[in-house]
Amino acid sequence: MISGENTRKRIMELLGREDDHFLKEGDVIRTEGLTKCFGSFTAVDHISFTVRQGEIFGFLGANGAGKTTAMKMLCGLSRPTSGRAVVAGYDLHYNRDVKHLKKVIGYMSQKFSLYEDLKVWENIRLFGGIYGMKDDVIAEKTEDLLRRLDLTAQRNRMVRDLPLGWKQRLAFSVAIFHEPRIVFLDEPTGGVDPATRRGFWEMIYDAAERGITVFVTTHYMDEAEYCNRVSIMVDGKIEALDSPAALKCKYSAPSMDEVFRLLAGKAKREE
Amino acid sequence: MTAMETMKDARRFVSFVGKEFNHILRDTRTLMVLLVMPVVMIVLFGFALSTEIKDVKVAVYDPSKDAATARLIAQIDASDYFTVTDMLDGEDGALDAFRSNSADIVLVFEDNFYHRAVHDGDGRMQVIVDGSNTNIGSMAVFYVSSIVSSFQKELARETLMDQAGNAGEGASGTSQVNISTSMRMLYNPQMKSAFNFVPGVMGMILMLVCAMMTSVSIVREKERGTMEVLLVSPVKPFSVILAKAIPYFVISAFILMTIICLSVFLIKVPVSGSLMWIVLVSLLFILVSLSIGILISTLVSQQEVAILISGMVLMLPTMLLSGMLFPVESMPRILQWISYCVPAKWYIDSIKVMMIQGLGIKYCLDCVLVLFGFLTVITGLSVFKFKDRL
Repeated sequence: MISGENTRKRIMELLGREDDHFLKEGDVIRTEGLTKCFGSFTAVDHISFTVRQGEIFGFLGANGAGKTTAMKMLCGLSRPTSGRAVVAGYDLHYNRDVKHLKKVIGYMSQKFSLYEDLKVWENIRLFGGIYGMKDDVIAEKTEDLLRRLDLTAQRNRMVRDLPLGWKQRLAFSVAIFHEPRIVFLDEPTGGVDPATRRGFWEMIYDAAERGITVFVTTHYMDEAEYCNRVSIMVDGKIEALDSPAALKCKYSAPSMDEVFRLLAGKAKREE
Repeated sequence: MTAMETMKDARRFVSFVGKEFNHILRDTRTLMVLLVMPVVMIVLFGFALSTEIKDVKVAVYDPSKDAATARLIAQIDASDYFTVTDMLDGEDGALDAFRSNSADIVLVFEDNFYHRAVHDGDGRMQVIVDGSNTNIGSMAVFYVSSIVSSFQKELARETLMDQAGNAGEGASGTSQVNISTSMRMLYNPQMKSAFNFVPGVMGMILMLVCAMMTSVSIVREKERGTMEVLLVSPVKPFSVILAKAIPYFVISAFILMTIICLSVFLIKVPVSGSLMWIVLVSLLFILVSLSIGILISTLVSQQEVAILISGMVLMLPTMLLSGMLFPVESMPRILQWISYCVPAKWYIDSIKVMMIQGLGIKYCLDCVLVLFGFLTVITGLSVFKFKDRL
């Protein structure tokens, strides 16, 4: 329904543009030759890919491969140097589109960016308010969220007093609190132990089942196995893109870790 | 549609300002520092650090013990600046008096002082100062000489009446200082130097609170990664910044009132100018400082750097070049030129004109215009820089 004809028509009406069907039915992100240069340095070099509605898309790459830069462009934080990208129906080339895009995406950084000196419920309310949700809706959803996270008793605690695992789950819940169409997760499991990480991935699956597309960057190759499809970036280019099973088959490797090592070994760029 | 969007924007903004107040109110230590510091500074500068002298202890060696020395000593003792604590038996007693801390200065008269002053026109006296206290030293010499010179005139008049025409020299080398006295006393008859500190402290504190606190609080969000989350959200970057500035504006206004109240009721600065204009110009300066803080925050990404920049690049010039501690007029030309780039200088100057000299706003219009100029340029720069980032 989200990428259905009706929604797309509405977006095009809103923007006052003809739909050129760049974004195909059932896709939420499509990029074509997307490039970002900083001076003479090309951080992201003509990447082209599509992400399907409701899928968990893993975006892998070594440090400095350009995955964060690419993600920042898709979130509307940074302007592409060249190439085209349409995210959730909005063309990143236009500032007006980016303004609208920001309402329908969620974002969680590796720092679990919540306000440490605000209480749990205050953080939820703040981010609900930022996305223009009404107070009664926020109140209702907050109760629901606290119950699901088992945080009802902790609602008045400062976020700084929560264990890391709780912070991470809360940060993710806050990122999808406004029911975005896509949520961008930038290394969301950094510094968290494996058991907590598995619990976190269950939350990601839940979100995907509700129709939220998950775009996730990660270092951990065991997590790559959880994704529907993964892309592997090396030196600003996408070297491989397929389902984990297909990639393992293609490179005849027993694990994603092995696949990654084969591809990332070609990197010439310094970290 | 647009009305709904405006409502949403308003709701966002209100929840934002609330969040900023929460940040500030929950950081009680910083808040206490912000609120107590102006009080401490005003009291410190007003009393303890005052270059004014009071009840300086004077020991006297007076071998002539005649009518003139007795009157002069009585006059010195009667002034607020000095208290005669000791009559010494010999010139050597001076050292002991300094060592035992029973005197700050020692007056030594020559033998037969009256006779030599009136008849020979050459009465000699010596002021010995405890040089370890430079502050008291120069001021004490200054006041002693002014008392002596007026006594000398008094004596001359009397002598003139007694025996026509023959005026005596009271003490040597005292007449040069008189002119500068009248200059200093022009707007400040009690010569309380604390008055001159008040505009300086106002400028410094407001600069500190607005520029440093605002920049640190914005940079903190960059450091913790929350700024990124905000930039991905539909919040307008400008309203993030504005929401940050509002609480600090409120706090600054409160601090401003505290300083003005303390000055009027505690240090008893006779605020003779229009209070309304003083407040309005201060609010203008607060806006300038806020814009500086915002500009800093767009340039740096670490809290320490923000503190360093606001500390070194703002506080130091504000203290040294604004005329708060040293008069700008007596600085080398280059430093004077640099001082023109310090916004606080213009603010402090205008507050001095209105608060201490009691003149109207039209006597410091140039300063106010310069402040407006700063505000426009700095705000423009930070808006430009902010867009550049996105």
